[in-house]
Amino acid sequence: MQFDSNLPIYTQIINLLKTQIAAGKLSGGDKLPSVRELAKELKVNPNTIQRSYQELEREGLVFTQRGMGTFVTQEQTKMQALKKSLALEVVNNFVTNMHKLGFNNKEIFTMIAELVGEEKK
Amino acid sequence: MNNIVEIKNLTKIYYDKIALDNLNLKIKKGKVVGILGPNGSGKTTLIKILTGLLRPTSGEVLIDQQKIGVYTKSIISYLPDRNYLYKWMKIEDACRLFKDFYADFDANRFAELLDFMQLKENMKIDTLSKGMHEKLNLALALARKAKLYILDEPIAGVDPVARDQILDAIINNYNENSSMLITTHLVSEMENILDEVVFLKEGRLVSKGNAEQLREEKGKQIVEIYKEIFAQ
Amino acid sequence: MFKYIKYEIKGTYRYILGTMAFVLMLITGFYTYLVNASRAPINSIGFVSLLLGLTLFGTAVATFLYIVGSFRKELYEDRGYLTFTLPLTGKQIVGAKLTVAFIWFFLLGTVFPLYNLMMISIFNAAVHNLTEIFTAIAQVISFKQALFFIFNTVLKTSNFLLLVYFSITLSRVTFRNKKIGGLWFVLFLILSWLMSYGETKIASLLPYYLNLNLQSNNFMLNQLILNGMTLDFFHTGSLTANIASNIYVLVVTVTLFLATSYLIEKKIDL
Repeated sequence: MQFDSNLPIYTQIINLLKTQIAAGKLSGGDKLPSVRELAKELKVNPNTIQRSYQELEREGLVFTQRGMGTFVTQEQTKMQALKKSLALEVVNNFVTNMHKLGFNNKEIFTMIAELVGEEKK
Repeated sequence: MNNIVEIKNLTKIYYDKIALDNLNLKIKKGKVVGILGPNGSGKTTLIKILTGLLRPTSGEVLIDQQKIGVYTKSIISYLPDRNYLYKWMKIEDACRLFKDFYADFDANRFAELLDFMQLKENMKIDTLSKGMHEKLNLALALARKAKLYILDEPIAGVDPVARDQILDAIINNYNENSSMLITTHLVSEMENILDEVVFLKEGRLVSKGNAEQLREEKGKQIVEIYKEIFAQ
Repeated sequence: MFKYIKYEIKGTYRYILGTMAFVLMLITGFYTYLVNASRAPINSIGFVSLLLGLTLFGTAVATFLYIVGSFRKELYEDRGYLTFTLPLTGKQIVGAKLTVAFIWFFLLGTVFPLYNLMMISIFNAAVHNLTEIFTAIAQVISFKQALFFIFNTVLKTSNFLLLVYFSITLSRVTFRNKKIGGLWFVLFLILSWLMSYGETKIASLLPYYLNLNLQSNNFMLNQLILNGMTLDFFHTGSLTANIASNIYVLVVTVTLFLATSYLIEKKIDL
């Protein structure tokens, strides 16, 4: 994986894992790769991975079982909240960018309605 | 004490050229530290002082609380930037030599690393290619359970596949009880495995810090910060 | 140190044993020629003998250069990065180098004369077997003489080798440049001169001699010398040793050893 945004590596890894959880690639109760495995896979310092896992744990998205590893939470409320916050972020970015391009909210709505409508057909 | 390396007012002068200018640096145990700077910035000079190949003109260097000497040599695993093995050797001879001289050398681990690097024990040193040399030297260095690893330009001059292998081996080898000092000018390839970075410019320490913290503060990857410091 | 000696030997034995095998073959060739050419003119025998002498001399020089070279390589080539980062003291490194140089000198210094003697006993009707030769030598040389002979050989050889090592190391410490580093030989000549000047000066100032003569006839000893062992104090035919100058050589040798070790451990910049 290429880390090229302006964010610290651990934040980028958190975002990566969050996306995987929200997308269902990692579902509730799944075991995350070990710190060392992920470090090797992403070619990143194990301390960085450790920090990402700690951060995710603090947010309640994963939990650690002694000697077993780190697992994705099974609390549905947490999962829903995560999905919602990620979605919100995407929408926010989208709206901001649309505003930058000079569209107003009404125009954005129409555009989306048309697009979604097309997809339904 | 928590510091594996303590450098105080270190200066090195070759005749009229100042290679290191009043350097002060402490390196905590268990960290992977990158010494970053272009060629000629004093990286190799610093490393050669730590390994006992060069003498400081002035200043003090302590490794694990000791002055440079037989003890510090016994706890440092050094990867030089050249082919330092005796030319008459086969790989197995180099393995025996390391086993004889370093109590922390793990022959099984070495065999694993050789396998990983696709090298064979009966290969002759003077028939190896540059990339193979680099991999062999790294295998020897990483097969030790040393307190301090000093790797001088570990990925310079090898192809991308070998680079990945070398990075893998370094990450694999990481543990909390040992520290690593890595010099490089290939910042983007290496920066993600570093805990701390130190920027050396013309023998002077111009900046240092925790890599993640620097990324957060400056909103940039280390390679961008590097370019900012050295672009002129 | 013994561990390091092992690797020194491993690194040099091919060259030494190779040279030895080659020279032994040459010697055999010479003797075979001498025997077969018994009807040949006298001066051809002289010529072959000269060749034999030159071969032995050449081998000595080549071996010396090889040993010097192997020390120099540590200071000027990449292998020094390995040697000088091993957890060894300067004394251990110099000691190992010295020991191995000794082992080879000793090996060549005994094998060639013995082989020559063997050749003589095989091809020369006058000498029937080796035991005879050794009994003859044992009659002429006393235990005391042999002991002193060994002591003196060891001392002189170490003195010589350390003078070389010290010169190379000092020139490396003083000049980082490899080309200027070639000046070690000039340094070596100056130090050798100082060394022998001091030796004779002290001998004349303190003329106390250890008399090692038991018998006046040292013919056999002189024969030995001709067969490859060179020892200055035998040339006179009488065996005396100046006590003070021997002590002087000993002290200088030890000092050279300590100084070289110190420079290697504390001063060398690779």
